[in-house]
Amino acid sequence: MREAITGNGKVLKTCWLEGSGCNLPAGQVGGDFFEFISSDDRTVFAAIGDVMGKGFTAARLMETIRQMLQECIRINPDPLDVVRRLNKVGGYELRKFGAFATLCLLCFDGRTGHVTCVNAGHHPPIVLSNGMVKVAQSRGVALGLLEDYLGSGAEEFSLAAGDAVVLYTDGLVEASGPGKRRYGQERLKEVIGLQYGADADTMKQNILADLETFTCGFSQKDDVTLVVIKVTGKVGETGGD
Amino acid sequence: MKRVEIRVHQEKGRAILEVEGELDFSTIEQLQQEIERRPEEVVEIDLQGLRFIDSSGAGMLLSQARRLYRQGRTLKIVRVPDLIREDLEVIGFFGRWRSWKLIPTLSRR
Repeated sequence: MREAITGNGKVLKTCWLEGSGCNLPAGQVGGDFFEFISSDDRTVFAAIGDVMGKGFTAARLMETIRQMLQECIRINPDPLDVVRRLNKVGGYELRKFGAFATLCLLCFDGRTGHVTCVNAGHHPPIVLSNGMVKVAQSRGVALGLLEDYLGSGAEEFSLAAGDAVVLYTDGLVEASGPGKRRYGQERLKEVIGLQYGADADTMKQNILADLETFTCGFSQKDDVTLVVIKVTGKVGETGGD
Repeated sequence: MKRVEIRVHQEKGRAILEVEGELDFSTIEQLQQEIERRPEEVVEIDLQGLRFIDSSGAGMLLSQARRLYRQGRTLKIVRVPDLIREDLEVIGFFGRWRSWKLIPTLSRR
């Protein structure tokens, strides 16, 4: 897996998967984060999350949760177990500061094309598959709010070459423009539906351009974090689309 | 211009705090102090005029609900606008509230 950091963004490139993500801060440092993690040659995790609050404490807790996430994946890469374990160890840290964190974890299996999604209080991923847009159904309570993770469980779906998943934080769908209207999930789904065939980075840029059009340059209250992951082939195949 | 306005009413052992505006990292302290100041057994937060809440606002309400629950008192949230309700549902806010068996206190009006 090759991962490049570009400004406040990151690009992921494997022989079967590409990803592009960025964080656009609003005001002081916040708790948004995203991560690409490879556990073996066929498995890649993509995670996005938001630690409650702003400033130094939120940033420090966010870094703690990121490190714990990597450690939980190393101990047992089963996605549901990762979130349960992270809620145990990370939740304890979060509660010490009266905080909580949202997390959406995706696990891509490069041999089968299966994706597993576990959600802890985060906005649901949007899937672009064969030109059709759908919203992932997995739901759960944010990390740190309950001692034991409570959620709808692991959701599984299959992706083929050309399909993509979009992860985002609340700052994107709650962004507002003139008239105080919100950008919203419906508009996001519409713009994602127009992106079939585009590479991950282009999709990300097009979504951000649409957001900018919508907000008309109005300053926003919350950070915007956006991650696009696109399947380009299967493990063992060369090329991709 | 103030980004959050809080109006306080009292009724037999109950304080009603009407919140109008935006509840985020920069404004939560005002509501938190007002809740902490109330001696009543029941503190009711009326969110009908709330236009925006972020994770800091949700976290503050949860920690105040926990504090009052431990004191044998109750924090109610009422008249939650639909958009705000959707934001809170995503993070599992109401799941946490239910774990304190406070379902009847969480109502639309």
